[in-house]
Amino acid sequence: MSLTEGIRAKAGELLESGVVECVIGYERGTDGVNARPAFVYSTDEVDRLIFDDTCSHNLVKYLLNRKGKTTAVVAKPCDARGVNLLLNEHQIEREKVHVIGVVCPGVVDSAWGSKGDKLRAVCEVCRQHVPPVYDHLVGDVPASEPEVPEPYADIEKMEGMSVAERAAFWEAEFSRCIRCYACRQACPGCYCVECFVERLHPLWVGIRIGPGENQMWNAMRAFHLAGRCIGCNQCEKVCPVNIPLSLLNRKLEKEAWELFHFRAGMAPDTAAPFATFEKDEKVGIGE
Amino acid sequence: MSGYITKEEVHRWLDGLRQSRDVVAPVKVDDLILFRRVDRVEEIAFDFANTDLSPKEFLLPATETLFRVEKRDGSVELVPRDIQRETVIFGIRPCDAKGMAALDLPYLEEPADGFYRQRREMTALVGLSCRTACAECFCTSMGTGPQDSSCVDVMLTEVDGGYLVELVTEKGRGLLPESMLSQKDAPAPAPPDVQQVPSAGMAEKLRQVFDDSYWGRLADRCLHCNVCSYVCPTCYCFDIRDYEESGVVNRVRSWESCQSPGFTKIAGGHDPRADKGSRLRQRFAHKLVYFPEHFGVMHCVGCGRCVRKCPVNIDIREVMRNVQQLSGGSDGG
Amino acid sequence: MYSSCPGEAMVDSPFLPHLATLAEVVDLTPDVKLFRMELHDAAVREGFDYKPGQFIFVSAFGVGESPFGLTSVSYRKDALEVAVRKVGTVTGALHELEPGATLGVRGPFGNHFPMDEYKGKNVHIIGGGIGFAPLRPVITSIVDHRDDYADLFILNGARTPQDLCFSNEFDIWAASPRTKLELTVDAGDDNWTGRVALIPSVVKELALSPENAVAIICGPPIMIKFTLVELKALGFEDRQIVTTLEGKMKCGLGKCARCNVGDKYICQDGPVFTLEEISGLLEQF
Repeated sequence: MSLTEGIRAKAGELLESGVVECVIGYERGTDGVNARPAFVYSTDEVDRLIFDDTCSHNLVKYLLNRKGKTTAVVAKPCDARGVNLLLNEHQIEREKVHVIGVVCPGVVDSAWGSKGDKLRAVCEVCRQHVPPVYDHLVGDVPASEPEVPEPYADIEKMEGMSVAERAAFWEAEFSRCIRCYACRQACPGCYCVECFVERLHPLWVGIRIGPGENQMWNAMRAFHLAGRCIGCNQCEKVCPVNIPLSLLNRKLEKEAWELFHFRAGMAPDTAAPFATFEKDEKVGIGE
Repeated sequence: MSGYITKEEVHRWLDGLRQSRDVVAPVKVDDLILFRRVDRVEEIAFDFANTDLSPKEFLLPATETLFRVEKRDGSVELVPRDIQRETVIFGIRPCDAKGMAALDLPYLEEPADGFYRQRREMTALVGLSCRTACAECFCTSMGTGPQDSSCVDVMLTEVDGGYLVELVTEKGRGLLPESMLSQKDAPAPAPPDVQQVPSAGMAEKLRQVFDDSYWGRLADRCLHCNVCSYVCPTCYCFDIRDYEESGVVNRVRSWESCQSPGFTKIAGGHDPRADKGSRLRQRFAHKLVYFPEHFGVMHCVGCGRCVRKCPVNIDIREVMRNVQQLSGGSDGG
Repeated sequence: MYSSCPGEAMVDSPFLPHLATLAEVVDLTPDVKLFRMELHDAAVREGFDYKPGQFIFVSAFGVGESPFGLTSVSYRKDALEVAVRKVGTVTGALHELEPGATLGVRGPFGNHFPMDEYKGKNVHIIGGGIGFAPLRPVITSIVDHRDDYADLFILNGARTPQDLCFSNEFDIWAASPRTKLELTVDAGDDNWTGRVALIPSVVKELALSPENAVAIICGPPIMIKFTLVELKALGFEDRQIVTTLEGKMKCGLGKCARCNVGDKYICQDGPVFTLEEISGLLEQF
């Protein structure tokens, strides 16, 4: 059974039996090539659902719009880490969410109207082809997860730059930022009712769309995700001006692993490092 | 047509203009094409479909300081900022020029916004007509077209070795003197085929389906980011705030989008458009009903940027087709 | 021309405020202050004509700008008055200001109560809390031109006696011929001997007559909602009921596309609307 068939069958079953009111999955978009999110509310709509290598959106974010309502969500492994993150942070109720996990072959770097011919950079270094949480699994479980000797090669390259080079690099990248907040809106970890950019007292970042404020915005968002980023890279995917945000967020993911041996979203009951206090823990700068 | 100009002559002309004006043109920035002020003509990308962001930022900057407040000898003075240098926007497509003409309607309607008017008067537009149409363009259904020169000062149409030139306005004639043009017996190329969308009667039809549950369903996947509004050549909503830094108060105007959560939230916390469906519906109602009914032109020029850039494929062409279907009309195929 | 610009300024824009001095601050209630402002420039002051229902933007420079309904009347050629309730950032900053401070003023904006249409009619004015601010200039106009209008009924309500606005004018209003003033509170205090009832129930009890009448209501949405029920039950038609809408605003000029309710802009087509107009709006807020 193909992934598409598996998802349609499960979706139909869940809707028919009333276990969920809504299934969030993927359907074909208007360019006829790429997928887009789809919300299916009845069994006669399940044939809209598809799954292929253009299904690069993280649908878990939408669970936050359906708090308290029963929902099934099609989740790739990286997306499913988002489910664990939201469970850990008490943002969703486990009983109301039904995860249709997908054993993911990787998704391609897509552009409007044309299907990419290579996998997304984050998929190339993926070590998690089976979702860490699911109620139902679609796809064949591989014998083992791949060994990826250098999951952070691009981060290490950036770390190899001098401070001045890195500052110049990011200044150039952030100069294109138009503060559309697509990165924030697409991120499952960003769900504050009032984002810090909307706060007037104290004023962290104003409404100016310009160099200083752009840097503050992007840097602070990255830090708010330190130890929480699940590496789904939606931020970079949705950015209309191609800012390489994954370099920032995955850098902090790498730090969280090196300092705390922690990867966000691998289990629902492990708290993020910065939300945990352990008396005997001592991590100093430069240690 | 007023005449012909070779590619080399265009380079020379632009180089000359740069001495006394800012020349803004499409430039390759990594894998994007963006309008930028150029220091050298060699930076200009001549071979492109359209830019990733519209050129509206040169009339309505993403951020601008309207005025600063100075306190002198106990009295307060407001010092508005002043534009000094003329600008030429080179390589603007007809759809984007039409977009600028649409921006004029609210901003120059009395009482006119002097900040906008000053920029507009000091900006000249040199258009580049379209030899090909993108798959997602639909300008001919929105009141313009790939060869529409009505909103530029000079229109260039690419032919072999150079461009056919149409000097459209007095400003255009002043910018590119006819003496620089030659005559060439080249026929004007036929306009490319542009996809049609069923925009006829849209305002009335959208009114009919205003309360339909369609909008809530459409908004299910909307992220409520600001991408569509910011890449759009006609969107113009803004926010104004005061900032006090080191004793100087600046009143700043920046882009904002009707899609951001909190766009309509008032002090005290009440938000009449807290619901996603009503927020998304506002975008399409403004573009296809309110603006056309008030100003007589559509608030969309069919450039296709929102279609290309929306992360979740909310497609205004599809919306128009759906509205036609829902209101009982045909969807135009 | 704007009073604030130096003579050489090139740019004239309706986004540039006129400068004004905060002449006086009067505490109306624990969280509402009345601001009296004098425009600096004499020419601007002379030409600043406004009608009941219109509003201005007041700037607390360094903090921001907010819209406020004008509560004074233009023909008295006096200071501009607005009632400011402390509810957010700008109003909070305004409440900190002392007389003598410099403010910015932009306006007047919006449509107005069509006073000419009310002449010869019985006018019922019903207001709750700070909602009374835009109603006060209507009352002032009627009281100052008493013979132009038939009966005047005023119902001013608030949560507690301390929250009643413009209490220093109650005697003036009540003393006007063919005028009846009723006050009511949701909860009294030790000194209150007056009515303790919600506004809608007062309207019902007093059985206001729709005969040759117009009813102007302003106040919190919930008060308006239930008062409308009572007025309709008494026979008032939609076109006889008038209210004001509010929304988040930035320009006041119809340029920022923010304050629309369906195809109507509150800053251009409002803030004054009849119930008939509101029922016809595409969006129902």
